[in-house]
Amino acid sequence: MTTALATPVAVRPAARRTGPSLPSAVWLEVRKSLSTRSGMAVAAAALLIGPAAMALAAGTASEDLDDALGPLVVTGLLGALVLLSLGALSTAGEWTHGSIQTTFLLEPRRGRVMAAKAAAVALMGAVIAVVASGLSVLVLLAVQPSWPWDGVGRAILMVAVAGAAFALIGAGFGAAVGNTAGALTGIYLLNLGVLPILQTTKPELADKIDPGNAILELAQGDQQVQSVVILTVWVGVALIAGTVMTRRRQVS
Amino acid sequence: MITVSGLTKHYGPRTVVDDVSFTLEPGTVTGFLGPNGAGKTTTMRMITGLVPASAGSALVDGRPYSALPNPGSVMGTLLDAAAVHPGRTGRMHLRLLADAIGVPAPRVDEVLELVGLSDAAGRRIRGYSLGMRQRLGIAGALLADPPVIMFDEPANGLDPEGIRWMRGLLRDHAARGGTVLLSSHLLGEVEHTVDRLLVIGGGRIVADGPVASLLSSDGVSVTSADPVSLAADLTARGFAVAPGDDGALVVSGASPSDVGAVAAAGGHVLSELRPLQRGLEDVFFSLTAA
Repeated sequence: MTTALATPVAVRPAARRTGPSLPSAVWLEVRKSLSTRSGMAVAAAALLIGPAAMALAAGTASEDLDDALGPLVVTGLLGALVLLSLGALSTAGEWTHGSIQTTFLLEPRRGRVMAAKAAAVALMGAVIAVVASGLSVLVLLAVQPSWPWDGVGRAILMVAVAGAAFALIGAGFGAAVGNTAGALTGIYLLNLGVLPILQTTKPELADKIDPGNAILELAQGDQQVQSVVILTVWVGVALIAGTVMTRRRQVS
Repeated sequence: MITVSGLTKHYGPRTVVDDVSFTLEPGTVTGFLGPNGAGKTTTMRMITGLVPASAGSALVDGRPYSALPNPGSVMGTLLDAAAVHPGRTGRMHLRLLADAIGVPAPRVDEVLELVGLSDAAGRRIRGYSLGMRQRLGIAGALLADPPVIMFDEPANGLDPEGIRWMRGLLRDHAARGGTVLLSSHLLGEVEHTVDRLLVIGGGRIVADGPVASLLSSDGVSVTSADPVSLAADLTARGFAVAPGDDGALVVSGASPSDVGAVAAAGGHVLSELRPLQRGLEDVFFSLTAA
């Protein structure tokens, strides 16, 4: 390739005296996640999988729905499962590609980087989940114009909580593992392998640890405290593990 | 300015950087020279906090790197040109960096033009050659035109035109009062770019000084019409004389003026008289030989 190399300019550009504010850092992380094809593809999948499942379910149902809450939350959980990937990609992806080096060179306070990433994926997870729920509502309206509106608000709120929580779990897990393939394999093996098997063999134990089940319980108004604790523990453990490893891991 | 004091790194029982100390002043280009595995990159990573030091400290502009309010505006760093997301375009990569540092968006196009990547800015980085990634890394480091620049092997992958451009860039930066630390294993590259050399071998600084003083040797090469007679006169004055190449005499422990005075006193006709200078390669291998 032919290149024309220029002579450096003598005028120093004006740079900010301090690092970006936390909101700016969060917005930067959102842009980083959505500036790659993989990030955009995962976000699009998380946005569309719920409405697509809703269209399939409503279109093939033999009877009209008598409750909107259940279908909206269940299809919303599909999107939340995809949002695990969005969270994992935002943290583990940086380690896999080595771009974490550039990130830490510009913001050496690693805890702050992790906080910005967590806020960014929570925000993206909630927004994508809410928009996906809105699309699912539109799908329901198209298939069954007379469907009951009861519980729609609560369902959308629960899906938003699920979106944010699952994205945070993915981000924490990804930061802890520090490798995209390892993080995605581990997190889906756990959520789509171990937990369903446990749900079959030891349902009473699974009910106490399954975050998806906790979302369903919350939506139905059952086991409120236990469900909040389950989600808090999942998010907390993932983020603490991710933050500890992010602070300790050497960038080589 | 960079101040490194007693920087040490252990990996288990292995010491990869051992009590490294130096201070880099503004207005200079310093070459950090050493064979592969000597500890150059680990030292640079410790300066930026990417790798924690086992002992010692490193200050940039008087503070630890992690305490700089906006590090990217103080020190432009290129450690690994491959440390970028390959799925982003070059322009998007730089825009994200510009927003993190807080420089105006138009600066992105300026640095892209500076490094000759304007035409490729819209392409994804996975399609860049090593040289293009190197130039993208340099562009990122120069976004804020920071007073301190630290590049690890920046000439890797650059074509001769790019290497010459980079030399000019670093010299110009130092001329404007900037501080430059440049690591390389390309001896010729360093020799033509730097004011000062830090030579590292086996994790320790084995030489530190201006290029000229490291290359100079304590002796003189002299060629005379009558070398036998001149050698006798020099030996009589207490100088150690040995035969050199092409009939020249090598006089150890003497300056050109010493030899000139003996030649004048003895009426010797000289065709050449010069101080001995070792090649950088000789210096490098003699200093880093374990």
